[in-house]
Amino acid sequence: MNNLIARAKELLENKIVQVIVGYEAGPTGVARPAFITNPAKADLLIYDERCVQNLAVYLTKPEVRNLGKMAIVATLPVMRSIMMLISEQQIFADNIIVLGVSSDGSLLDIADIKVMQAYIEKSDLGNPVKDRALLVELNKLSKEERFAYWQKELSKCIKCYACRQACPLCYCTRCTVEVNQPQWIPVQSNTHGNMEWHILRAMHLAGRCISCGECGRACPVGIPCHLLTMQLADEVHNYFKVYAGTSEKMSSVLSTFEPNDKESFII
Amino acid sequence: MARIGVFVCHCGENISATVDCGKVAETIGKLKHVAYSTDYKYMCSDPGQTIIKDAIKEHNLTGVVVSACSPRMHEPTFRKACAEGGLNPFLCEMANLREHCSWVHEKNDLTTEKAIDIVRSQVEKVKLNSALQPIKVPVTRTALVIGGGIAGIQSALDIANCGHKVVMVERSPSIGGHMSQLSETFPTLDCSQCILTPRMVEVAQHPNITLYTYAEIESVEGFIGNFKVKIRKKAKSLDEKICTGCGLCTTKCPQKKIPNEFEQGMGMRPAIYIPFPQAVPNRPVIDREHCTYYIKGKCKVCEIVCPTKAIRFDQPDEILELEIGAIVVSTGFDIKHADFFPEYGYGKYKDIIDGLQFERLASASGPTTGAILRPSDGQVPKNIVFIACAGSRDPAKGIAYCSKICCMYTAKHAMLYKHKVHEGKAHVFYMDIRSGGKNYDEFVRRAIEEDHVNYIRGRVSTIYERDGKLIVKGVDTLLGAQPVEIVADMVVLATAGIASSGAEELAQKLHVSYDSHKFFAEAHPKLKPVETNTAGIFLAGACQNPKDIPDTVSQASGAAVKVAALFSQSELTREPLVAAVNRSGPPMYSTCVGCFLCQSVCPYQAIEREDFKTRDGKIIKTVAKINEGLCQGCGTCVALCRSKSIDLQGYSNNQVYAEVVALLNEY
Repeated sequence: MNNLIARAKELLENKIVQVIVGYEAGPTGVARPAFITNPAKADLLIYDERCVQNLAVYLTKPEVRNLGKMAIVATLPVMRSIMMLISEQQIFADNIIVLGVSSDGSLLDIADIKVMQAYIEKSDLGNPVKDRALLVELNKLSKEERFAYWQKELSKCIKCYACRQACPLCYCTRCTVEVNQPQWIPVQSNTHGNMEWHILRAMHLAGRCISCGECGRACPVGIPCHLLTMQLADEVHNYFKVYAGTSEKMSSVLSTFEPNDKESFII
Repeated sequence: MARIGVFVCHCGENISATVDCGKVAETIGKLKHVAYSTDYKYMCSDPGQTIIKDAIKEHNLTGVVVSACSPRMHEPTFRKACAEGGLNPFLCEMANLREHCSWVHEKNDLTTEKAIDIVRSQVEKVKLNSALQPIKVPVTRTALVIGGGIAGIQSALDIANCGHKVVMVERSPSIGGHMSQLSETFPTLDCSQCILTPRMVEVAQHPNITLYTYAEIESVEGFIGNFKVKIRKKAKSLDEKICTGCGLCTTKCPQKKIPNEFEQGMGMRPAIYIPFPQAVPNRPVIDREHCTYYIKGKCKVCEIVCPTKAIRFDQPDEILELEIGAIVVSTGFDIKHADFFPEYGYGKYKDIIDGLQFERLASASGPTTGAILRPSDGQVPKNIVFIACAGSRDPAKGIAYCSKICCMYTAKHAMLYKHKVHEGKAHVFYMDIRSGGKNYDEFVRRAIEEDHVNYIRGRVSTIYERDGKLIVKGVDTLLGAQPVEIVADMVVLATAGIASSGAEELAQKLHVSYDSHKFFAEAHPKLKPVETNTAGIFLAGACQNPKDIPDTVSQASGAAVKVAALFSQSELTREPLVAAVNRSGPPMYSTCVGCFLCQSVCPYQAIEREDFKTRDGKIIKTVAKINEGLCQGCGTCVALCRSKSIDLQGYSNNQVYAEVVALLNEY
């Protein structure tokens, strides 16, 4: 952690970056995102097990972008998000410094995108262990049981769209749900419309989800909506042998075609 | 407020036989916003169109729904009628009551109900139509013809004779293609070279045609009327302007053991060579792969003997960049060779040859100056077997299609053999004789009846060699599948015609589709046989599927007239039914976030990038932009756009949604 603070200070003092995006402790001790522009305040940075949020979500926010060149405290999911954002042309590798942190909290030396790619490639890219277990349980259910489970869960949705806001890859300035000509997704919350929203969200993340689980964590009513996108990440890996966020030049599996692609899922 | 006019057509009895057209018109007439509704026997007729034009004026219509047939045929008719009535043509929609309703259902009330629903959905759609304006695209009046066989030659000459510039690119050192290799042509037995070479010379001398031989297409960008084409002129290793084509170098070249491609490997050629005596241009090229100088670094005999000092060993490949308005693809075909057939010894028997090799044997300019001699020992074969459908119509070999030309050329080969070897016996194994074409069947009958060629209906299971003879084992299915064994001196396989090598790569460069056999695909098998799915690119000849010379030439002229029609105006008018990425004022500029997923899926490369910049040139936002000249309105980008920032003009999300909602709602 001291290394992280020292490095952050150095970056700010030498004006290499204008802002450090990291974590700080809130008044109740909960970790919250911090945007540090003053080197004197770099001491506020923390990194420990409380720091779970995917900070990459701030990379595309105009308010943060306008602060200038940034450095970001990056766990594996953050790094994968950065890769996705670069491949989808939302950020440029030159405009960002990655302060990589390993799972044990030590500062990694991520000099450039190539180093980051190498680090990502040697990491476990599957879904988090506890979510894997949940998915195994869900997949044991029959189709009808699974549908009933999701109907029950999604009926709780209040359409607050926190799942969308927390997701680093839901960066559209105007989301489909905000289109009312035509009104694709009903405004009010009802089970049917809620399912439409969650299916749409999952489809928009198919082949893009980097399994950070931020959407599920953000849900105020406790819907495990991250399992939908994580299941799709599994499916995509199963069919196309790729994990999202592993290369800066990754093409979307849904928009590219290789003659040897499996087509067994086409009915 | 919308004032929609609905015109229900009986289509003679095509619609009215099962749909109560009067009831449809009456029911629709009662709908909100429908200002006028009527039915008529033939809406597409002159009086029918007059009804529409008059109603537009009389009822001040803001939209028209013609409830008739498929829009494929008559949408232009009715759009034109609306324009003449004073309404923007894109405010006219068609409800397909014929293909979608009357033809596929029995006569009953439900059929009429369905017809009403179809019309209702179109009424809802047309309310949301916008008055679109046609797109104008400038046209570069230069055509590119890729491939210099008879198809390319015919197309190039036809286009050039219309007064337009043509650039012809041929990858081999001479134009002429397969036709220049043929001996005589069916069904008249006139000499192939004699009818072809004047055309070749005409191409070379035509003031409107620029010929690049030994050149290949490097890349193609742009769109109809405005292609940007890069051509790689491979180094011929000599200065064509100085070379007189005397041919001295080709006789002195010490490297003489290279299988001659033009002779189908039945003769040898030097490393510096003119492919055949009538070649156009009649200048040699150095085959760097086999030239001693390029292999070992010394020789240069050709440079020493050249009287005009035209040899240039260090000549680099040249890349030309050309502006092209339309492209004719005429890259022709290849054939499977004898080594494709395990049952016939994988090419290990020298006296089993393919059809093209036989052409060279029979040709007066060929390796035997026209004598039919077997390759192994140069003897005249006394017993010759021709096998039709070698590979073709054989799904087990992966070629399910009929190569079309083999029945005819096999009859020709047998006939030519009999004309040259009077005492010889010719046998033809065939599956069916497909001789559809002017004077074609008469030709085959002549081979059988006058030249006594022995036609055996059946396939050959195996050929093996015994005592210098080829034992051909087959079956005669007309004699109750009786086994047949013929002891032959030579066997000619009418091997399958396949796509030209490199066809797939070229198709990808041109962005035209191709089938599983790598033959280029036409836009419509019946009504658009020379167009491709990419506007401005046309097909001629055997690159589409195996074709004989008359078919090839007809299609080549067809492609030429398509190009000439395109070049008849300086601007191209396109239907504005294309995609559009939305735009709004700053700071948003567009709801597009610039992920460019659309760019990766667009089959027509129609999506470009547009930067919004501050006054001092700093980029604020980069968003997608549709090139209207390239877009074909397929809508793939619309489906993939996550932020719903792309819409198809004339088929917007909102319009299609309104159609669906209309169908779901009661009225």
